[in-house]
Amino acid sequence: MDDPILNIISISKDFVFHHQEGTRIEVLDDFSMKFFPGQATILTGPSGSGKSTLLRMIYAGYRIPKGKILVRHQKTLVDMATALPSLIYDIRQHTIGYVSQFLRVLPRVSALDTVIEPLIARRMEPRKAKQRGRQILECLRIPENLWHLSATTFSGGEQQRINLARGFAAPYPILLLDEPTASLDPENRRIVMQLIQDAIQAGSCIIGIFHNKSDQKEIAGRVIDMSQILCRTAEV
Amino acid sequence: MTLLQEDKTLPLLRVMNLSKFYGKTMGCHGINFELGKGEVIGIVGESGSGKSTLLKCIAGRLSTTNGSVFFNSSYGFIDLCRTDEVLLRKIIRSETGFVTQNSVEGLRMTISAGGNIGERLMANGMRHYGQIRKIARHWLETVEIDTKRIDDLPSTFSGGMQQRLQIAANLVTDPRIILMDEPTSGLDVSVQARLIDVLRKLVASLSLSMILVTHDLAVARLLSHRLYVMKDGRIVESGLSDQILDDPREPYTQLLVSSILKP
Repeated sequence: MDDPILNIISISKDFVFHHQEGTRIEVLDDFSMKFFPGQATILTGPSGSGKSTLLRMIYAGYRIPKGKILVRHQKTLVDMATALPSLIYDIRQHTIGYVSQFLRVLPRVSALDTVIEPLIARRMEPRKAKQRGRQILECLRIPENLWHLSATTFSGGEQQRINLARGFAAPYPILLLDEPTASLDPENRRIVMQLIQDAIQAGSCIIGIFHNKSDQKEIAGRVIDMSQILCRTAEV
Repeated sequence: MTLLQEDKTLPLLRVMNLSKFYGKTMGCHGINFELGKGEVIGIVGESGSGKSTLLKCIAGRLSTTNGSVFFNSSYGFIDLCRTDEVLLRKIIRSETGFVTQNSVEGLRMTISAGGNIGERLMANGMRHYGQIRKIARHWLETVEIDTKRIDDLPSTFSGGMQQRLQIAANLVTDPRIILMDEPTSGLDVSVQARLIDVLRKLVASLSLSMILVTHDLAVARLLSHRLYVMKDGRIVESGLSDQILDDPREPYTQLLVSSILKP
């Protein structure tokens, strides 16, 4: 087997809520796992079991107080826990893509511009980026008359598809998906599952949160039940 | 004056142990950070936390009590706190920009919009009237102000237009860094959205390096790569913007983040 593209070594994570009687919630305790190119990992478990926390730590959106998250980024191995901000921006641009559960919509920014933002950040020529943007919006069945509008007024399902279009517009060696199919109808769900399969085939390492059993079966990756392997305790 | 060899590996800005006291009252104290090229840093905190004092010290608008502000200028890696007045003026005129909260302070209200933009060009030696007007028109377009308003006084502009004019008047000399003190404060939300949109486009297209002081965390998230949280004149927490806003560690930051009203 190849070297892992992502190697999580003994990470722990807790949250202390200073203004809520100092409540401390331990979400991850000494968690380790390796992830390989072309591999799909499905995170499952009840709300609060640490699924999104794990994704956000891999993306360095949450701090990593203990342990290492080693990412293979352009032939170098980078520890996300200690990487400088400039390197983390670079990793987010080229190596780790993240599709959050909800799109952060911006007024005045068109759906098409929202989708191609990661491509423009990679310095892709705007004309080519727009071409790719149109292609992926079409694939995700967003009507053409909406492309130039800001997604602020879109329905939940449309916003989620804009979010997914943004995530799939550029290929990422590691793609983190936080409940990508949660607000989609069956036809759009099928399209998204196909995009995921294509990305796996192309060698992406997919780590996603999927509650739906048929989604899990279709992706056919390893299933990690976070409630089984993680310690989660609350102390005051 | 400290003058080192210009070095591309150096940050654009290095603030070291900066302090400002107003008599015995502390404005800001023990501030350390660096800013890279093309990076946007947000400084957040409540009113009176020392954000604007810090920004004015960096801009050379306030004298510091202690510490250094090293700036990677075309004249070398210079400590702006210890440079002579003539060089400091040159740098402020062409290599740094400062957008104030109150546009009356940042614009000349008795000269035209075009004149406000052209002033920095003329201060840098440009004399060709037609050329200055052409550049002014370009910048008005860039910040989405109708070029027909080029000869109008800024006092006839709305608050949002005045802020955009300030930005144009600062960017016209292609400064290495732009400092913004609460640029969206006092503007209604739709005007604010337009200003933020213009700023986002400029940051992306010009790779602007910027320090943004704001008490609006949503604005800070939209525009900044990294955030510094200030309280009582000191930095209490710093990190990537999403780390600070989604995973705040310090009690004060948690209070700030949890106080945001979501519509």
